[in-house]
Amino acid sequence: MSRLKALGLAATFGALISGPALADDIVVGFATAESGFMQAYDKPAQDAALIRIDEINKAGGLLGRQIKVVTADTKTDRAEGAKAGLEVLDKGAELVIVSCDYDFGAPAALAAEAAGKVSFFLCAESIKAGIPGVGPHSFSSSVLAAVQGATMAEWAYNKKNARKFYRLLDTWTVYNKGICDGFDWQLPRLKDAELVGSDTFKNEDASIASQISRIKALPQEPDAIMLCTMMPGAVSAIKQIRAAGIKAPILNGSGVDGSYWLSAVPDLSNFFVPAQGSIYGDDPNPKVNEFNKKYKEVTGGDPSSQYVYPGYVLIDVWSKAVERAKSLDADAVVAELEKMKDEPTLFGPRTFTSEIHHQNKGRYLIIETTNGKPAVVDEWTISEAIPVADLLKQ
Amino acid sequence: MTALLQILFDALSLGSLYALGALGIALIFGVMRLVNFAHGDYIAFCVFALLWPSIDAAAIVFAGNLPTIILIPLILAIGAGLSVLSEILVFRRFRNANPATMMIASFALGYVLKNFLLMLFSSRPKSIDLWSNLSQQVEIAGARIPLLQVITITITIVILIALTAFLKRTRFGLEMRAAAENFTMARMLGVKANRVIMLAFAISGMLAAAIGLILATQSGTVDIQMGMSVMLVAFIATVIGGLGSLPGAVIAGFLIGGASVLMQVILPLEARPFRDAFVYGAVIACLIWRPQGLLAPKSAKQRV
Repeated sequence: MSRLKALGLAATFGALISGPALADDIVVGFATAESGFMQAYDKPAQDAALIRIDEINKAGGLLGRQIKVVTADTKTDRAEGAKAGLEVLDKGAELVIVSCDYDFGAPAALAAEAAGKVSFFLCAESIKAGIPGVGPHSFSSSVLAAVQGATMAEWAYNKKNARKFYRLLDTWTVYNKGICDGFDWQLPRLKDAELVGSDTFKNEDASIASQISRIKALPQEPDAIMLCTMMPGAVSAIKQIRAAGIKAPILNGSGVDGSYWLSAVPDLSNFFVPAQGSIYGDDPNPKVNEFNKKYKEVTGGDPSSQYVYPGYVLIDVWSKAVERAKSLDADAVVAELEKMKDEPTLFGPRTFTSEIHHQNKGRYLIIETTNGKPAVVDEWTISEAIPVADLLKQ
Repeated sequence: MTALLQILFDALSLGSLYALGALGIALIFGVMRLVNFAHGDYIAFCVFALLWPSIDAAAIVFAGNLPTIILIPLILAIGAGLSVLSEILVFRRFRNANPATMMIASFALGYVLKNFLLMLFSSRPKSIDLWSNLSQQVEIAGARIPLLQVITITITIVILIALTAFLKRTRFGLEMRAAAENFTMARMLGVKANRVIMLAFAISGMLAAAIGLILATQSGTVDIQMGMSVMLVAFIATVIGGLGSLPGAVIAGFLIGGASVLMQVILPLEARPFRDAFVYGAVIACLIWRPQGLLAPKSAKQRV
């Protein structure tokens, strides 16, 4: 053995033993917003992820090792996001968890991709949050926005006997457009269903009076209004629609789940939202209600919307994939994730394939709000998955 | 006919908001050549004043629960107070700076206000149910109009009449008009600069508070961004109206509101997402036609 080689070996060995005291820990990195406006959206899902990590650690850890969490603040800034991604990677993250939104999460996810590590969006619902927008090691644990629109259309058609639909799109975000795209994809598949009208507005519009006048000018009120929007404009739109005396059922995406805003529209009724789990204490799965209690114990407050849940799901599916791969190697973990077909989780089954790292079909609870009180009334899974080609076209 | 009336009311109610906003900006511009970009944040601030600071998702309504008769003067006073305070603490130091510097200062002030609200209330939009009985419908000649729209339009008209009377009939009004016309000359003739400017800020702040109350009632939402879009349109209205001209700002506010509603009605569905592009296209055409604005004040003309 040459002296040089011996020196190299010694150096390697030295590096191993002189590492942190708990070098055996598995590091999970959160490159999420701890400040700025995304913080309010990232933190709930991150808290849920931490709860799952804690459960795993208490049950003996992953591959017999404890999971250690490291964090870096993206400050709701895309440039800082890339830095935060690198920072957690430097700290040895095997899994990089990034901001809820595709635009804000992508820089950190791309950093993880470049380092060959697995990344998960906390709750992004754009098809780009995964293979098309980041790369083959990137996933999102939520369900695509398009599935929400498709679910509501098919459910209302079957359970509310809706035939005449009206579509009102808020053109602000890709998420909103995604809901309506799913609705548009579903509608022609429903026999005799027709679109009696369509209109757009902007989230920041001070008034949607003219959009409402258009609905009111219809010869008869539609059977259901598909409202593709999100906070804060959603509240304003819903309030104005109801104030104008339009009583038709309003179908929405998951973005308006939660009771925190209902005070703005007292006695709201005939209002439907798809949710992955119920925050209202009436989930058909008692384990979800137990989780809600645990979440309250840990964070001091009830979950504010269903967007808490994807954080729990992502740690759940990732840790299962690691156990099955018996390795932290990114490619091996991705291969195991891609084998998951209707993998049960607390918040509905998850399927990943080599084509799509997102859910193009998913079980949703249907939450109906009656007299200002939301409650689970049904659950629905769309009869066919939205083809990846259609999703990418959108 | 009914449809036409509906469009007219929709246009008037949106235009009212823009007109009130434009008036608030034009007032300040008139007396000190400042385009106050923090105006939108005054609006948000006044609405947040209805709530108790908390970063929970659900709003804790505090001042918002007060009886209307106390609530309205209180919020107007908060708007006026905030506006006057920003004059004393910030803009007074820039009195002799060039307008661009003052504009940047107003951006900075807006940024500070926004982040202050962010700190106290978090970025999550909150909900509030303010005067929900105003959302009931009234029928006017066959058109069904939410009571709030009628009230918004009425309030705007009342404010405009009151302000006109104030400007034309009182000593303060005369001083303010004189200051808007030619500030240096007005001072030389004995107009007290600080008093006039503070008064303009106070009225402007109250207008912001009024917009905030209308927006909160209409949308049920309290959001740190909520004044932004009104502020932007209001600024454009002051430019079209002729910078410094109060009647011009009001007319342009109504025109933009009207154009926006009209575009929403007549544009085909495919073009409707680009409604604002058409509205601003009209704005550009208007400025090409009259670069000095619809009603340019005499003071804006170059003197030889």
